[in-house]
Amino acid sequence: MNALSLALQLVGGLALAPLLPGLVQYWKARLQGRRGPTPLQPYRELRRLWGKSSVDVEGAGIVYRLAPAVTAASLVLAVLIVPVASGAPSLGAGRDALALLGVLALGRFAVTAASWDVANGFALQGASRDLTIAIFTDATFVLSVAVAALVAHTTNLATIVAGTAGSAVWSSPSLALGAVAFLLVVVAETGRQPIDNPDTHLELTMIHEGPLLEYAGRDLALLQWSAAARHWVVLVLAAQIFLPHTPGVWAQLAALPVRLAILCAGLALLETFTAKIRILLAPRLLAVGAAAALLGVVSWLVQIT
Amino acid sequence: MTARLQPVAAAAIGVFGFSMLATGTTLGSGFTGAFTPRFGVDGLTAFFLGVLGLVTAPTLAFAARYLEPGRRGRITSVLTGVFVLVLAEVVCARDPLTFLAGWELMTLLPAAIILVSRSDDEARRTVFLYLAITHLAGAFTWVAVLLAAHAGALDSTGAVAQGSGLQIAIALTALVGMGTKAGVMPMHSWLPRAHPIAPAPVSALMSGVMIKVAIYGLVRVLVDWLGPLPLSVGILVLALGALSAVGGVVYALFQHDLKRLLAFHSIENIGIIVLGLGACLVLRSRGDETWAAIALAAALLHTLNHAVFKALLFLGAGAFERATGTVEIDRLGGLLRRLPWTGGAFLVGSLAIAGLPPFNGFASEWVTLQALLHVPAAGHLGDGVAGALALAALAATAALAVLCFVKVTGLVLLGPPRSEAVAAATERPLPMRAAVVSLAGACVVLGVAPGLLLGSLVSLAPWPAALPTAIGLHLPGTGSLPTLGIALVLVAVTGVLVVARGRRAAAPAPTWASGQLVEPSLLWTSAGFTKPLRLVLAGVLRPERTIEVRATRGVVQEVAYSGRVPQHLDEQLLAPAVRVALRGAAHARRLQTGHLGTYVAYLIALVLVLLTVAKVGLIG
Repeated sequence: MNALSLALQLVGGLALAPLLPGLVQYWKARLQGRRGPTPLQPYRELRRLWGKSSVDVEGAGIVYRLAPAVTAASLVLAVLIVPVASGAPSLGAGRDALALLGVLALGRFAVTAASWDVANGFALQGASRDLTIAIFTDATFVLSVAVAALVAHTTNLATIVAGTAGSAVWSSPSLALGAVAFLLVVVAETGRQPIDNPDTHLELTMIHEGPLLEYAGRDLALLQWSAAARHWVVLVLAAQIFLPHTPGVWAQLAALPVRLAILCAGLALLETFTAKIRILLAPRLLAVGAAAALLGVVSWLVQIT
Repeated sequence: MTARLQPVAAAAIGVFGFSMLATGTTLGSGFTGAFTPRFGVDGLTAFFLGVLGLVTAPTLAFAARYLEPGRRGRITSVLTGVFVLVLAEVVCARDPLTFLAGWELMTLLPAAIILVSRSDDEARRTVFLYLAITHLAGAFTWVAVLLAAHAGALDSTGAVAQGSGLQIAIALTALVGMGTKAGVMPMHSWLPRAHPIAPAPVSALMSGVMIKVAIYGLVRVLVDWLGPLPLSVGILVLALGALSAVGGVVYALFQHDLKRLLAFHSIENIGIIVLGLGACLVLRSRGDETWAAIALAAALLHTLNHAVFKALLFLGAGAFERATGTVEIDRLGGLLRRLPWTGGAFLVGSLAIAGLPPFNGFASEWVTLQALLHVPAAGHLGDGVAGALALAALAATAALAVLCFVKVTGLVLLGPPRSEAVAAATERPLPMRAAVVSLAGACVVLGVAPGLLLGSLVSLAPWPAALPTAIGLHLPGTGSLPTLGIALVLVAVTGVLVVARGRRAAAPAPTWASGQLVEPSLLWTSAGFTKPLRLVLAGVLRPERTIEVRATRGVVQEVAYSGRVPQHLDEQLLAPAVRVALRGAAHARRLQTGHLGTYVAYLIALVLVLLTVAKVGLIG
């Protein structure tokens, strides 16, 4: 049972992750009345990029060259930390929710530092926005995870999945408020509307795409896989902690694909019905999320005192 | 000769401290309230001696090559050595008198060193301000220590009744006096002024060790001498920590002088340490002794980690200053290629201070986050909300530090050089290189195996607490942080991916910027990179900006831009205090006539008043 859950965690996180952004794009096209690419489009792009030669930027150094590998390594680490079912044993990287904060920040540091190395103004514009929004994302992330950790009495993610299972935990509003906050974290981390627009390549509006401008070939393939893996990490957390789920491990594993598909459809729906908001308003939106999570903490405290 | 002996002696102090901590032995006298000189070493002192040695040895080796040969350099070197001894004396003192004497010398010596190395007007004014602020605050330290000694808190713990007015008075005066010395906001004004003008090795010692000795004082008073404090004091400490952490890093972002930027980061990291201390106080008053001890250990671990990476960064800044002649971050660039050893070590320090794995800042920030999460987990409404807010503040602080150090590494180490002098910069001599590289090594070791130390730090709490020793961090009720495993995964996967990507066949191409050439005048600056945050926080920071356009006959000739982020705490809090003090001094000056007769009259009047008071029986 544990072996299956670990296998799904590794195969899903490493190999199936590109399917998630593919599904979002596919459904988004359908909702907008277009035929759109198949959900397998990200794999095609990865194969195409892997076959192409990378081009170095004149004058760029080791930080630029290492950044894609370091980013991908930090996402591999995040995939190892996030379990797909309750009770999954550690894979050598621990199971801690708060550790994810630093692990995801490492990838962000690598890519944004690389945009200083190539001295590209558009890359730096995206980098500065990404890092500014990340301040508010991180605060919201930590508070929404705190709600789940308080409900489950631990920060061990595998135990949190078990501790938030069943219907009893939903009798108080705390987990629901944490879920609202985490939804905003999902939108920010995956770079989707209303915070970022993954389809845009217009220099003046992009956030996450900006620092990737100077990369090509296998470097870009690694960065695109990292973006897909970030979808996996936050969507699995959303599916297995912040959506109602059953305590049984088999049921959790069987339900995961369905839940991920539903969440992808939800993101597609959100992208269809909302426009990208002004960049300076994104922190306010995330602050609303942080306030919701704080309210979740308060309602948990009120309930047990 | 002395220059070579100094680092060896410092290293010996460090080895002595850590071995005493590991074996858990004590030496010499215990604390006494009597006014006779006593010295001793217990676990807490041993730990701070270890920190002192670990940071001081490379710093003094660096200083030997950094300081100019000649009289000034020699005097600075000697005073720096004395400064280190005084710092060791403060942590070893076991009676109020030697402690306070050492405390005052610790304030005075950096002032002397700054004045020896620089004697311009700006330096004199800054030193005066530094002495004024730390001496006024020093009075509070005297009050706290003397009150504690008088109440017998030094001789036996529990001498001060829990929740009594005396206990709160001692705690508050210690917070003001020692908090000022540590640079806790809003008492921090001296720190970003004094640190940048000192020679780089002295800045490293001030930021790395001196403000940590103030933390030692706070731990001694609040945790050791006073016993469990009322909840409100713990929450106050949490609030001060959160303010320092967020405030320090936000103002750091808008600095253009590398050393001043690092000084503001010291305020931030002191804030993180104080957050751990606050969590310890709150959890202790709630009776959760296991987690209170872990919170204390988190504060101490971050004390050590900050000492290491901040000394590294200040020494790196000093090396860059010597190599290029400036510490203006908008005028550096590309130093990683020109100074690979110093630059590489500086990059490691930047990753560590930004709290990124697998370096030491990540480990101690993780333990602090866990400790803060246990404040709401104790299940009480008021302190629970305070703990959750502090948790969010620490997460935001870490992300702000990432923003700041992406900017610093980008402007200093990466990209094209921004001036001729920077383009011609070369690597520094071996002792300077070795100093920063050894500190970078310490950042890695403490990041990969923090668990070896955390166990001993947990047992430093004055109540029984223990944690099994491991390489990684395995705390009860967490998903644990196997730091070694994390480091191995990161290194192995990065290595595999670098090999898998293979060599490049195509020739390098210029940066693409919409078809425009990237010219030096188009390069991004610090102000540009922080603009989104400046706009988001405009309501709080109230930045000032002026744009002057000079046009002749409708044709724009010149556009001048200037902007700054004012220090509101300084201008709203410190400036009025200075005005009141100056007005008071103007009144007091009227007493000074300069005539001998007047002074004799004052003396006679004083004697008469004293005699009358004695006669009535108010004194004597």
